[in-house]
Amino acid sequence: MKILIVEDNRALASSVHEYLSRENYVCEQAFNLHEAKEKLLFFAYDCIILDIMLPDGSGLDLLNFIKEKHISGSILIVSAKGAMDDKIRGLEEGADDYITKPFHLPELNARLRAIHRRKDLDGSYMVAFNEISLNTNTFEVTINNKHLDVTRKEVELLLYFLVNRNRLLSRQAIATHLWGDYTDNLSNVDFVYQHVKNIRKKINQAKGNDYIDTVYGLGYKFNTHKYETGR
Amino acid sequence: MKLVDKFTLCFLLIFFIVTPISIYSTHYSIKQRIDNVEIERLSAVNNEVALQLKSGISPDKYSQGRPISISTFAGNLPNEKTLTEKQNYDQGDCRITVSSFYNIKGLNYKVSSYNYVTQSGQILRGMLPVALIKSLLMIVAVLIAARMLSRNILSPFNQSLAQMQKFNLRKKKPLVLAESNTKEFKELNLLLKKMTDMAITEYGLVKEFSENASHELQTPLSVLRSKLELLADTDIQGDQAILIGEMQHAIEKMARINHSLLLLTKLENQEYEATEHISFAGHIKSILGFYEDRIQMKALTLTTHIGDDISLKIHPALADLLFDNLLGNAIRHNVKNGIINIKANHEAFVIENTGAAPVIPTEELFERFKKSDQCGESIGLGLAIVKQICELNKFNVRYTYRDGMHSLRIDFNGMAVANSAALIAQV
Repeated sequence: MKILIVEDNRALASSVHEYLSRENYVCEQAFNLHEAKEKLLFFAYDCIILDIMLPDGSGLDLLNFIKEKHISGSILIVSAKGAMDDKIRGLEEGADDYITKPFHLPELNARLRAIHRRKDLDGSYMVAFNEISLNTNTFEVTINNKHLDVTRKEVELLLYFLVNRNRLLSRQAIATHLWGDYTDNLSNVDFVYQHVKNIRKKINQAKGNDYIDTVYGLGYKFNTHKYETGR
Repeated sequence: MKLVDKFTLCFLLIFFIVTPISIYSTHYSIKQRIDNVEIERLSAVNNEVALQLKSGISPDKYSQGRPISISTFAGNLPNEKTLTEKQNYDQGDCRITVSSFYNIKGLNYKVSSYNYVTQSGQILRGMLPVALIKSLLMIVAVLIAARMLSRNILSPFNQSLAQMQKFNLRKKKPLVLAESNTKEFKELNLLLKKMTDMAITEYGLVKEFSENASHELQTPLSVLRSKLELLADTDIQGDQAILIGEMQHAIEKMARINHSLLLLTKLENQEYEATEHISFAGHIKSILGFYEDRIQMKALTLTTHIGDDISLKIHPALADLLFDNLLGNAIRHNVKNGIINIKANHEAFVIENTGAAPVIPTEELFERFKKSDQCGESIGLGLAIVKQICELNKFNVRYTYRDGMHSLRIDFNGMAVANSAALIAQV
């Protein structure tokens, strides 16, 4: 997947670039509106990560530009404002999703993947790894083709792990993913522990492998190499 | 005491002090004048008689209609040429006798004449009723005039006062004051205008600053968070992991505080205007679904009595935020195997939960950064947001704690209607 990151803050752009590159995406950066327009005219991207506030204009202008020039590609808006108007306007102007600063990198990745799944012409709504497969439309999970009885939150959690394989997911990132950006969910980390414990237990009971590692002091990681031979 | 009453009272006091003095002095002056005129006239009569004596004419017993007594006496002439005697009579008269002394042809003569004048008491008695009527007229006139004048003269002042009472800094509307031609009021209005205009400007600047600061912080926070995430994802040692974990926790807290402050600013700026009625019950139920897992994990017993047909005019995002905060609090500050009761109808929404007694008065928990548990995990802005949302929508919110139960009640103050009524209104 080819991605254009339109973000004027170079440090943040490089973080996003680094994280997404390791997901095997091809990433390019544009630090202002002008650069972004140039790149969009010459190259095709699957997805555009677009900051609303740019030094030479609003990201919303770029949305119009994309529409006028019939440029294809999904758009994920990034805004520091978190204002309702921006969100609604952005989505009305053709953006596919919206994320507010400060965001978690795994969350950004999950959103990108979700957009891509929705827009993918194959209509591939299955996310799978070895014996685990997850249907993102029906929120059903199967282990070795056997149905797993899980709650909606547990499916969301598992999906978050599956799209951020081998990446460290902090408890805060998981809490924000599961319960949103609401004001006071700092203490939700205890509930994250519970959910992770439950999903591991359920996968174990279904004779699936437990790929989830606890990283002491930091969070969890879905380790795809855990049961590889020679490891 | 009203300003006009104070003025009236002062005026009356002066009036009551001045009036007796003026009555007395007037009376004294009149009496003096009458007496002096009479004394002069009698002296003149005496002189006339003396002239007659000098020319050797024996005067009559009456001269110019006055009874005269002439007598000779031995010894020297007194130093005073005339002597005046006053004698009061019961009939209200006063007899003035003037005696003059002459030396005519070697003989000492004393010539006396007298006349009756009005007694001073009589004059006073004549003056008093007039003075009384005058006083009464004066008092009535003052009372009425003061009131009428004060209404007229003070009207710009009263208008300014009313405008000031209506003035609200948050609305950012400049103060409009009535014109006045009174110098003092002009100055007052000028000052008020200057003060309020300055307050509005300063307030705007402060708001703008806090809003901008919050916005500007979002990007550095993103950088910090993303860099730490990338760092945590590298091969790190156990003790380093703990350091990073703690940093992440602090950044998380900072991000939440910033997010909440930004939200409060937006609420204060009235950026969320309620445009339509929403199904109140629907919003509560969706959020309850959202928190179902956490209620189960804490083994809480949840009972709900939610009326189905409640329609509330509130921005949908604010409704979610409101219930999210309240329910989140009820779960977080609850005890294991605790209770949550939710009651809602078109009058009020009540959420009760078990939990430890608050250490500070419950009303203070609505203030920003006030927490019952100061070192706890919450950031202390949840209830401030709840209060702000309630104020914005003209709801009343009350927090009480009794018998181990925390109770938060939101009165809709007639802002909620039954669904059917809302539908009829819309048709």
